[in-house]
Amino acid sequence: MLLCDFHIHTKYSDGSLELKKVVDLFGQAGFDVIAITDHVVNGDSLIGKLAYKFRFTITEKNFNEYLENIEYEAQRAWNKYEMLVIPGVEISKNYLSSDKSAHILILDIKNFIPACGSYESIFLEAKKQNALVVACHPHHMKGEIRNTLYLWKNKQKYGKYIDAWEIANRDDVFNVVSLKKYPYIANSDFHKARHLYSWKTLLNCEKDKETIKTCIKHNKGVAITLFRR
Amino acid sequence: MLLWLILILLGLSFIIYFFQVLALRKKLSEEIPNSFTQPISIIKPLKGLDDNLFDNIESFCKQDYPEYEVILSLENRNDPAYRVAEKIRNKYPDRVTIVIDNSSKALNPKVKNMMKAYRISKYDYFLISDSNVCVEDDYLRKTVSSMTEDVGLVTNLIVGVGGKSFGAVLENLQLNSFIILSVCLLDKFLKMPCSIGKSMLMRKKDFEEIGGFNAVQDVLAEDYLIGKLMHEKGKKVVLSNYMIKNINEYWSIKRFFNRHTRWAKIRWKIGGVKYFTEPLANPVFIASLIPLFYAFSNLSLILLLLSVLIKTTGDYLVMRMIKEKPGIQIMFSPIKDLMSGIIWFVPFITSKVNWRGNLYLISENTVLMPVTDSSLKRTYLKLKTIFSH
Repeated sequence: MLLCDFHIHTKYSDGSLELKKVVDLFGQAGFDVIAITDHVVNGDSLIGKLAYKFRFTITEKNFNEYLENIEYEAQRAWNKYEMLVIPGVEISKNYLSSDKSAHILILDIKNFIPACGSYESIFLEAKKQNALVVACHPHHMKGEIRNTLYLWKNKQKYGKYIDAWEIANRDDVFNVVSLKKYPYIANSDFHKARHLYSWKTLLNCEKDKETIKTCIKHNKGVAITLFRR
Repeated sequence: MLLWLILILLGLSFIIYFFQVLALRKKLSEEIPNSFTQPISIIKPLKGLDDNLFDNIESFCKQDYPEYEVILSLENRNDPAYRVAEKIRNKYPDRVTIVIDNSSKALNPKVKNMMKAYRISKYDYFLISDSNVCVEDDYLRKTVSSMTEDVGLVTNLIVGVGGKSFGAVLENLQLNSFIILSVCLLDKFLKMPCSIGKSMLMRKKDFEEIGGFNAVQDVLAEDYLIGKLMHEKGKKVVLSNYMIKNINEYWSIKRFFNRHTRWAKIRWKIGGVKYFTEPLANPVFIASLIPLFYAFSNLSLILLLLSVLIKTTGDYLVMRMIKEKPGIQIMFSPIKDLMSGIIWFVPFITSKVNWRGNLYLISENTVLMPVTDSSLKRTYLKLKTIFSH
C-alpha cells in the first residue's frame, strides 16, 4: 500500500517550512506520494484581502514559479526517495460565515485557477485540466472557530463535481462522509513539522499520477491510517 | 557561611569544567595510525521515526570500506520505520538486509530488537549503531582503525546537530557541552570505561565471552554494562575521536526532558553516591543558587551573570572545537544548564522511565521491571524484588 498525504502547505502560503524541507521531511519518513497544495485565496472578502496582504496565497503572478519549483523537487524526491510529488493547490473561499466558506484541493493542477470565480467555474476548469477535485475539511472541526461547511451543505448541487471528500483531516474524523458512502481520502493539512503525525491515506495501486487519481475517484483499494511516530 | 560554600562549589565547578574542556582537546588531538579493515556487520535497530531517518540509514550504506553488511532490525512491519527500511533495501539490495523479529523475551527493547540480527550477521566483527545517527563515508574506516588485539570495544563521540525547534536546540546544546565533555573527562582523566550505545564496535568472540546479549537483555543501560564487562574481562574500551552526528531537528521540550531524565536516572542507578558530584559539572546551576539563597542583591546577580558569561563562552569554544557552528542558539545554553540542574533532581522522585513507547521501573544497575497497569501488582513486584535479595 502506498502511504500518501494529499494536503500539504509550504511557505508559498501559510506553511512554516520551505518546499524543499517539506519534501525532505516526508521523504525521510518513507512516504510514497505527497501533494503540495498551497492556498489560492479569494480576494473578494476581508479575510481574503488579508491573505493577499501577508502573502499567504499563491497568485497568478507566482503560480508558474510555484509549479516549476514543485516539478524540480518532484524530480529530486523521485531520484532520492522514490516518492511521487503531485502539484496542487487548495482553493480557499474564505468568508466570515462558516456556511459560506469552502476549501477545495485541486490535485495535479496545470494552470492557475482563481479562487474568486464561481464554484462551477472552478470545478469545470479543474476537470478541463484533468485534475482531481477534493472537498477538504467539509464538516465541523474541533477547536476551529471558522469551519468550511459550504460544500457539505450544498452536496446535492456540487457532489457530482467532487472526486473525493476528506474523511479525516489532521486529527479530525468526519463520519458523515462515510455515512454518505462518498469516495474518501485522509490528509494532514500539513502546516508545521508536527503535523506529519496525523491521518493519512493508504492506496493499493501503482505509483503514478494517473493510476492514483483513478484509484481515488473509484474509491477502490483506499484505506486510511493514523500515522504515528 | 552558605554564600562561601556556594562560592567554593562554584570555583570547583569551573575547575572541573576547565578539565573537561582540556580532556576534549586531548581527545580530539589523538591520532590512530591503524589500517585494520576486517569485514564488519552493522546492526541497526529501528523503532519509530527518527528525524532524518532515511539519510541516517543511507549514510551507513555509502561507506568507503572494502567489505561490510548493514542489517536493519525491527520488531514488526507496522513500525513506521519499516517503510524507510524497505526503501533503503530497494536502493542498496546487495548491502542491506531487513530482519523482523519479536520473539525474544528481553526487556530492553533495543536488545530484543537486535537478537536475531546478531544471529544472522555474517562477519566476526559487528557494530551496533542507533537509527538517529548520521555519519560521513569515512566513519567505518576510522572507527575500525581503533580496533586492535587488546581492544574489546570501540565507541564514538557524539555531537548533536540540526536543531530546528526549541527542544531540539536544547538537546543539541546538552549533547555538545555536558555529555561530550563528561564522556571525555571520564575517558582521559578518570580512566573509566565509557561506552556509548549509539556506536559500538566489537569482536563477536569477545562479546560472547562476556555473555552476549543475554547478559544485558534486562537492563536499560546495555551499553554501559557491555563496556563494564569488557573492561572486567581485561579488554580495552576505546573512545574513538571520530564524531558521529546525532540528528535532532524537531524535538519538543517534553522529549528533551524525557531523554535527559531517563539518562539522569540511569546515571543515578549506576553511579550511586557518585551521582551527587554531577552538579559540580554545571557552574550555571550552582551560580543560580547564589541569588536564590542570598537574595537578589547586586553582588549575587553580578556573580550569576559572570558565571553565565564564562560558561556560555566556554560552550561556544567547545562547539568550535567539535566543528559545529554555534550561532545564536548558544544564547540558550544557560537555560539548558538551569533545566539540566532541575532534571538532576528527578531520579530522586521517580524510577519510572519511558523509552520509545515502553514504560519501565528501573532498579540498581538499571535492571528493568515493566510497569503494569495495576499499582497493586507493581507494589507486589517491588516487594518480591526486595525480598528475593
